[in-house]
Amino acid sequence: MTVPLDPPRPETPPRPAAPPRRRRHRLLIPLGLAVLLIVATLVCHAVDQPDPTDRGFLSPVATGAHGGSRLAEALRGQGVTVRRETDTLQALLATEPGPATLFVPAPELVHPATLGALTDLPPGSRLVLVDPSRRVLVGTGLPVVPGGRRWATRVTDPDAGGRPCPLPEATRAGRAAAVHQRYAARAGGTVRGCYAGGLVRVPWRTEVVVIGASDPFRNDRIDEWGNRALATGLLGGPRRLVWLDLPGPAPAPTGPGWSPAPGEGPGDGYGHGDGPGGGDGPGGGDGPGDGGARDRSDQGSDDRADGGSPWDNPLWDAFPAWFWALLLQLALAGLLVVLWRARRLGPPVPEPLPVTVRSAETVLGRARLYRRARARGPAAETLRAAALARLLPRLSLPPDTPPADVAARVAAHTGRDPEQVAELLHGAEPTTDQELLALARGLDALNRTVFHPSEGDPR
Amino acid sequence: MTWRAALLLGAGAATLPAWPAPYLGVAVMTGLVLLLVALDWALAAPLHGLTATRTGDRTVRLGGTATVTLHLANASDRVLRAQVRDAWVPSAGAEPDVPPGRVLTVEPGGVATLPVRLTPARRGDRPAGVLTVRSLGPLRLAFRQRAGRPTTPPWTLRVLPRFDSRRHLPEKLARLRVIDGVQVTRGRGQGTEFDTLREYVVGDDVRSIDWRASARHADVLVRTWRPERDRRLVCVLDTGRTSAVRVGDEPRLDTAIDAALLLTALAARAGDRVDLFAADAALRATVTGSGRPALLARLVDAVAPLQPALVETDFELIAGEVLRRERRRSLVVLFTALEAGALGEGLLPVLPRLAARHRVVIAATHDPVLTGLTVAPPTGLDDAYAAAAAWRALAERDRVRSALSRHGVTVVDTPADRLAPTVADTYLRLKSLGQL
Repeated sequence: MTVPLDPPRPETPPRPAAPPRRRRHRLLIPLGLAVLLIVATLVCHAVDQPDPTDRGFLSPVATGAHGGSRLAEALRGQGVTVRRETDTLQALLATEPGPATLFVPAPELVHPATLGALTDLPPGSRLVLVDPSRRVLVGTGLPVVPGGRRWATRVTDPDAGGRPCPLPEATRAGRAAAVHQRYAARAGGTVRGCYAGGLVRVPWRTEVVVIGASDPFRNDRIDEWGNRALATGLLGGPRRLVWLDLPGPAPAPTGPGWSPAPGEGPGDGYGHGDGPGGGDGPGGGDGPGDGGARDRSDQGSDDRADGGSPWDNPLWDAFPAWFWALLLQLALAGLLVVLWRARRLGPPVPEPLPVTVRSAETVLGRARLYRRARARGPAAETLRAAALARLLPRLSLPPDTPPADVAARVAAHTGRDPEQVAELLHGAEPTTDQELLALARGLDALNRTVFHPSEGDPR
Repeated sequence: MTWRAALLLGAGAATLPAWPAPYLGVAVMTGLVLLLVALDWALAAPLHGLTATRTGDRTVRLGGTATVTLHLANASDRVLRAQVRDAWVPSAGAEPDVPPGRVLTVEPGGVATLPVRLTPARRGDRPAGVLTVRSLGPLRLAFRQRAGRPTTPPWTLRVLPRFDSRRHLPEKLARLRVIDGVQVTRGRGQGTEFDTLREYVVGDDVRSIDWRASARHADVLVRTWRPERDRRLVCVLDTGRTSAVRVGDEPRLDTAIDAALLLTALAARAGDRVDLFAADAALRATVTGSGRPALLARLVDAVAPLQPALVETDFELIAGEVLRRERRRSLVVLFTALEAGALGEGLLPVLPRLAARHRVVIAATHDPVLTGLTVAPPTGLDDAYAAAAAWRALAERDRVRSALSRHGVTVVDTPADRLAPTVADTYLRLKSLGQL
């Protein structure tokens, strides 16, 4: 059923409109219910999923459901030194002597310029990244690309991918909730994964472990399946643990040891030999005070430097290509709708309107003119003449009766004071509007008194 | 193209995630839809093969319902699927039996019948608007539509005045018969025109005995009289600016038309000849009273399209027209408004010429608002000034009325709802007095 452009009719037929509306309801109610169900599900899911950018997400000091205090307790119980750092640079410095484990629960918050340095830890160290995005993987230079993402975390065996798991910690932990975001090797790369791709190990000089699910580390899930064993196995061992707990998006790195050139490959740009040089950067931590302007300029140069890299506009990467194509096609469909609605079914028909003149228009206009001109004299004159013209026939007086006689007869008829009546009928001109109104009222009252009910029309 | 094309493209968008190259998918699907639209457009029935004609009512009385049928003939060799909008002016109150949204199918060589029911809201000519045909393709993805194809068949529905004063007609006709002497058994009989001689019977008025005729016969004869027949009545409708004033719920002109129709119906029954003019700055309508049986119908038809115009009435023109057409003495009833400006400057200079030849009656309607202003007790300053202005207007009206009376003109000045019977009464009175 199309809805054509229709000029407004004086009456719309009520009968034919009823059946389509009922039919539309029959279609709309189930569809609306389905849409409501889907929206409610999506909202609940979004609320339930932990947000890595939240303050306290996988923090060793946070005891909430999404915190990591129980994991930190377990690690300390195993004798692991847990050092919490809230600054990327400090964390990198803390890994300095000897092998260490750097745990980054929220790699999204690490500034892009410092991502490359994460994989350049002292020999024998391990880097654990939780659910890194494509941007982070490219930034760190890992030969890993994100694969499919699951709606919810799934529990599997370590060897679920069909190939044996290379990580003994994972094998020891057994079944764990580790499959949420899957990862695969980049074309031509060789990385080994566990848990059907949910956990990937890159055996570089710094061993990098990428895990797609945050569940094994979280307070609310750590006791399920082999989660605790997996988490403590990945982060524990003989190495010290540096826990990078960023409270928010990290600012751009400052200091002499850092140059904003993140485009370089992993492991070749930021020698940790620069470490001592960089050490006094945060040490002279007057950064936030005077570094504001510099910060911004650095940011700008970063953006320019990143122009050629794949994440020039993060919005493009945020959605897959088909999404933009879908938007384009929907826009084209909208254009077709516009074209359809733009063609009307015939032009509107003009109504030849009749001329209308309101009644007594000229009389009311003249009244307004009287008022604007303050023509109290002529108005009073007209009112008195009209009153006399009505009174004289009723009192059977000839039209040329002297004013004094008229006043006397009217006063005798009404029982009023003759002087007052004379003043009313033949008095001076009113000088104010109030006097005119009083005169009009007085004449009206007089006329009503003299008016005999059997006379009919008072005029 | 129609909403279906957009829907097709929108539905195709849902398959985009499955395409290996989404942008290529957009191009392919858009091209495909446009191709289908073009194909559908090409397959739609051509508009030049359509012809539209109309049949149905030409006139309807205000308040009634007329039916005008549109016949759409498909002379092409394709099936026509079309949405048809047969537009009328809004005041025609058109209600098509087939709503414009419905798609109707006409086989090749077939004719679609589309009746439209019209309940007009206003008197006058209500023309049909533009006919629009939207010929849809078999898939209904595209349509052909072009202004002027097929050619709109012109049609005008004439909406006749309601003639509400018809209800007064039986009573006035009864009074006319009394005057005619049909129901009079005694007395000299009304009227001044000699009818016949008959034998005297007891009870006849002795004054009507015709002695000369009695002398020739052996019997006593009396004359009988009857009212004049074949008198002339001229109704003049003033359609100038004063007729546009709304008195009560309708313009003065509609009241005047109603009264003129009653007067015409009465005069036609009384055997008088009726002419009608309507004029403002120009002559708007003319009806001359030949062909008596259809006179009222012709008159109604002539006055139906009259509309008030915002111009000053040219009484010179009216007087000239009346004097030129009516050689014999007639009763001229002028339906206008008693307004000092319009009548004093327009009518009074030409009135002596007119009144010398004809008997003139001026029929006008009161404005109840004016009366209300004068009798209401003043509550505010505006009321006082308005009362003064209204008294002045009434005084001017009385001056005009006395000036008209000096020329021997009868003035009928009544409220709007009493105008028609009062004018009819005036006519009957003049007729009974033999003053026509």
